[in-house]
Amino acid sequence: MADFAQQLIDYICKEIIRQPGVQLGVDTPLVSSGLIDSFSLVDVLSKLEEVTATRIPAGKVQPKDMDTVRLMLSTAQRVGKPRK
Amino acid sequence: MAARFPPVRVPFATLPEALLAAPQEKPFVTMWIDDDDEQTFTFGDFTRWSNAQAASFKEHGLSKGDTVILIMPQGAALMAAFAGAMLLGAVPAILAYPTFKVEPAKYRFGLAGVSANLNAKLVVVDESFPAEFLESVSLSDQSKLIRAHSAPPTSGNGGVTLIPSEPEDLAFIQHSAGTTGLQKGVALSHGAVLRQLAHLSHALQIRPSDRIYNWLPLYHDMGLIACFILPMVYHLHVVMQSPTDWVLQPGSMLHLVSKYKCTLSWVPNFALSFLASRVKSKARKKYDLSSLRALINCSEPVRAESMDSFAAAFSPSGLQPTALQSSYAMAENVFAVSQSGMNGGMPARTWIDGAKYQSERIAVPVEKGRGPCFVSSGQSLPNNEVRIVSEKGDALPDRHVGEILIRSDSMLDGYYNRPDLTSLSLRDGWYWSGDLGFLLDRELYVTGRKKDLIIVGGKNIYPQDVEEIAFSHPAIHDGRAVAFGCYNADLGTEEIVLVAEVEEPSNLESSSDIDRAIRGAIVAELGVAPRAIYLKPPRWIVKSTAGKPARSATREKLLAEHPELRIS
Repeated sequence: MADFAQQLIDYICKEIIRQPGVQLGVDTPLVSSGLIDSFSLVDVLSKLEEVTATRIPAGKVQPKDMDTVRLMLSTAQRVGKPRK
Repeated sequence: MAARFPPVRVPFATLPEALLAAPQEKPFVTMWIDDDDEQTFTFGDFTRWSNAQAASFKEHGLSKGDTVILIMPQGAALMAAFAGAMLLGAVPAILAYPTFKVEPAKYRFGLAGVSANLNAKLVVVDESFPAEFLESVSLSDQSKLIRAHSAPPTSGNGGVTLIPSEPEDLAFIQHSAGTTGLQKGVALSHGAVLRQLAHLSHALQIRPSDRIYNWLPLYHDMGLIACFILPMVYHLHVVMQSPTDWVLQPGSMLHLVSKYKCTLSWVPNFALSFLASRVKSKARKKYDLSSLRALINCSEPVRAESMDSFAAAFSPSGLQPTALQSSYAMAENVFAVSQSGMNGGMPARTWIDGAKYQSERIAVPVEKGRGPCFVSSGQSLPNNEVRIVSEKGDALPDRHVGEILIRSDSMLDGYYNRPDLTSLSLRDGWYWSGDLGFLLDRELYVTGRKKDLIIVGGKNIYPQDVEEIAFSHPAIHDGRAVAFGCYNADLGTEEIVLVAEVEEPSNLESSSDIDRAIRGAIVAELGVAPRAIYLKPPRWIVKSTAGKPARSATREKLLAEHPELRIS
């Protein structure tokens, strides 16, 4: 879990936010705080699938389920299906 | 206003009449719920649902001419409530549903302002509408708030609760795009709406077999008129998603177009870039977009690179080159002013001398690829006139850039309860759009905006609203912030850039905290994230001779310091 979270945090910092000095934790609000916009969620969702080795039906996910790294991992656990 | 134009033949006198004439068994709305769930309602189902809503509204005291506010999620329940209100001769208006990004206090403020102006007899929300917002709805002694059922009635007596309307009675109010609280209610009659649809259906050569795909919100004119009212009047099937579902799964749009063989769709410019970049190349072949005969780029300036990247990305999916079309539209004209492809083919393009365009505001042609490219938004619809005028209001010839004025037989009569705003925008029958453009061979090219408006993903943002948010932070010097739009070619849309002066140089040590606070406040109030916030020491912002921040000079200074803003 901690490893998954760190991988996601690293990805969001390096590939999405791209601003030096931004510190993220598992409970840092991302979309509601403006750190990332809704359009980036599709990239984050892809990364979440890769990190957790699951297939996540996007139709079962709402943007609010992706607002923090902790919520993302919980969403993957709730609706993700193991990759074949 | 309609009198100065030749009469146009409309198929029905009013919108309820159009709905009640629909073939009962034909599918009207298919709502995508998720990967495993879709719901389809025939015109018969929908009419019964609308009728049940009308009966319920009547029991709650709604009668002809009353306004009714609808705040419900995207879907058939919202559409049935809208149609139900019209069956009673009442005047519905859809307001945006709150999202998790919205700060409750800001949403409440906007809701209170808009609902007070509409002075609605009834405010209808869905069963899940957050209770914390209910107290902010402005209710008079005569008005009432109710929750609508999100499911269709399981039984019905088939009778129709209909109070007849006249063509020039108000049909509904749609809000011009803009910041919550500053939105202007555009009051439209049945006749104006039906005349617009007659022109649009003529331009698009609408046929009964057409099927529309839509993810656009129904509180926006492109979603409401093109993707709900047009199919309701012309008895077409519409396949619909919510905007958030589309954002999280953009490929689902292509899946639905393929599955249902949709023929028409409308999108803002950024959606073309978004789809081209986010749908992986190996996935593209599984879609079949050959059924699309018009995917219409509308509500943001039309960009050639966005059209080209989409065309290249989805030609393996069978997309026809002529499917990508463009339009210029606005809530004040019900919807479309112009439409490309009326004579077949793709939207016209022109390459111009960039230097002359900047210095003389004239679009002088150059060889293809030797200067900026503008894509036409098409020719005026029948009974729609476009005039380009100088700052003094003088008519300008072809290729001269000026403000776009519009006159039509579907123009608004006025902003609802706002005669002050009406007199500013409507003069001698012409609507002053605030948009800039030029005409060439009867084609309209929209080049930008006279107003300092920022359009982010089709949403209009006033820079003053962004600046006000910055001023409210204690570390920012009051009155010393400038916001502007910066085009991002990757996204195909503008993004917000804000520069603000801090009160004291020492405040810059807390830049991260200030940035985060202002960023969060912008999202909470305006629903969009800024691309960048630059905090600068006192006296950095360029001031005008009147001592106010000079927006364009400050913008140029920032772009000179941060050339990376120009690149993307």
